[in-house]
Amino acid sequence: MTRVDSRRGAILYLCAILLAFYILAPFLWSLIASIELETELFIKPTHFIPQQPTFANYLYVFTGQIPAEYAERGLLRSPITQEARFIPQGLANSFTVALSVTVINLIFGTLAAYTFARERFRGKTAAYFFVLGSRLLPAVAVAIPIYIIMKNLNLLDTKLGLVLMHSAFTLPFSIWVLTLYFQSLPSEIEDAALIDGCDRFGVLKNIVVPIAAPGLAAIGAFAFLFSYNEFLFALFTTQSLNSKTIPVMISAIGSNPDASYTLIAVGITLSIIAPIALALVFRRYIVSGLVTSFGR
Amino acid sequence: MVTKARIITLPARLSKTRQLNAYPWLTVVPVLVLVAFFTIYPFAYAAYLSTHKYLLIQPGNNPFIGTRNFEQVIGDELFGVSTRNALVFIALTVPAVTALGLAVALLANEKLRGMGILRALILLPWSIPLISTGIIWKLLLHGNIGALSGALMELGVIDSYIPWLSKTDLAMYSVSFAHIWREFPLPAILFLAGLQTIPAELYDAAAVDGANAWSRFIHITLPLLRAPLLVILIYETMISFSVFDLVYALTGGGPGSATTLLSWYAYTATFKFLNLGQGAALSFIMAAGIIVFILLYLKLVPQEEVSI
Repeated sequence: MTRVDSRRGAILYLCAILLAFYILAPFLWSLIASIELETELFIKPTHFIPQQPTFANYLYVFTGQIPAEYAERGLLRSPITQEARFIPQGLANSFTVALSVTVINLIFGTLAAYTFARERFRGKTAAYFFVLGSRLLPAVAVAIPIYIIMKNLNLLDTKLGLVLMHSAFTLPFSIWVLTLYFQSLPSEIEDAALIDGCDRFGVLKNIVVPIAAPGLAAIGAFAFLFSYNEFLFALFTTQSLNSKTIPVMISAIGSNPDASYTLIAVGITLSIIAPIALALVFRRYIVSGLVTSFGR
Repeated sequence: MVTKARIITLPARLSKTRQLNAYPWLTVVPVLVLVAFFTIYPFAYAAYLSTHKYLLIQPGNNPFIGTRNFEQVIGDELFGVSTRNALVFIALTVPAVTALGLAVALLANEKLRGMGILRALILLPWSIPLISTGIIWKLLLHGNIGALSGALMELGVIDSYIPWLSKTDLAMYSVSFAHIWREFPLPAILFLAGLQTIPAELYDAAAVDGANAWSRFIHITLPLLRAPLLVILIYETMISFSVFDLVYALTGGGPGSATTLLSWYAYTATFKFLNLGQGAALSFIMAAGIIVFILLYLKLVPQEEVSI
């Protein structure tokens, strides 16, 4: 019996290690590629452990100091692109937009969801389905009209435009998850507070929000990830450094023939640090939010 | 005194009642306006576009043309190719993502030391920008520096580097492979949540009755995972059907039209050829396709009977 158990355990651990490798290998490879010299990247068979690890490309992105190895290669090809110097600005844009979208979701999503969960008023069902129904529309279908609307409102190439657009895409989901979440909370304390003369907003602010922190953390994390990761709409509504987000920038670098593969790997690595950190820190809330929204 | 008190309190009570009536709408209206403005209105606009001639290169010339846009996109040679490719892509990715997700969930559900680490890792591929996923896999699958070829050569599986993405007969599999890596976390998490609701007593009872692991899986686990299975199939089909970022980063629909999926065809119609009417028509066709798939799954996956 124990022998079967220990053999089973060994097989399971082997599977777990293989799975962890499958998940992590692509991340590790972009990290390795980002600190290898491009000349080393081209060596066959692949060097999986860099012989001369260098942070020169990271230094270039943040300071503009051109890596010495590239200068040596002379005039044949200088595999470097000014575009990579804009990565910090792209990250800053992405953070500004994603954090704004998160705050908007937390404030307006919470207000609306709490109303949907607890208030009775005429038109409530219609309003609720109006908000949720908008999620069913395919993104491609609204892409062109949104471009035209943004153009008419002078919102093209602005962070404000991105914030409004991403908020409109994330709020229905946030409201859905939060409404379910609020409905799952016992309402006795809230009712008592209402009878004592507290109004709805006071109850929400003083009683519900403090105990709803896990639900809020979930929708905040979703809103941030969605906005930070969103590519298609950011691609065709942004043009300049003023509003280009990090996905738009690294896609440009990734298809730029002047960019060395090392530099491309630097771009990828810098672009995935924030979402990975967020996914690890907020894992519990993200998972419970996903399970709530998709149902068991 | 009594009269005075009433005069003082009445307006206060009135205003409070009015405030109570206005409050729900005050909280809901900002969201309604934003959502209407950025999704419902554009959708109506897209419906308008799909029935009108609308080329960005011919401004001011937008006559109503009925179903001509639909006829033209369906008549295009690329429509057949991209529809077939989209179906192949769905057939390659959706079952794989679902099966891998289930396998991962079963593994992560084991009560072994250290499994917590695995559960923490599962989310990672899903959390990063799709465009980053695309470029990572572009480097991994590269014909000259591809680490996948490097690793396979080291293991002696292949004897020269393979340009996974630029070979016509491999490109579709390569894109699918990257897509599966990105998408399996969600099914894994939903299946895992489903597994955790199955009471252990059911398994114990079956074990006492002499059922082996496989028959316990078939007769207990699978039937109880029907609800997440249905959601996963529908959701992953929608995701595979509308995949865009990955194709953009990996192949741009190529080589030739090998990875031109319906979603990519809609994108090129719209943004390369600036034919907004045809782009909108295509997106409606895609929306209809998704509905067909949902109905299909609802029929295929046996539903639990509605219970209390």
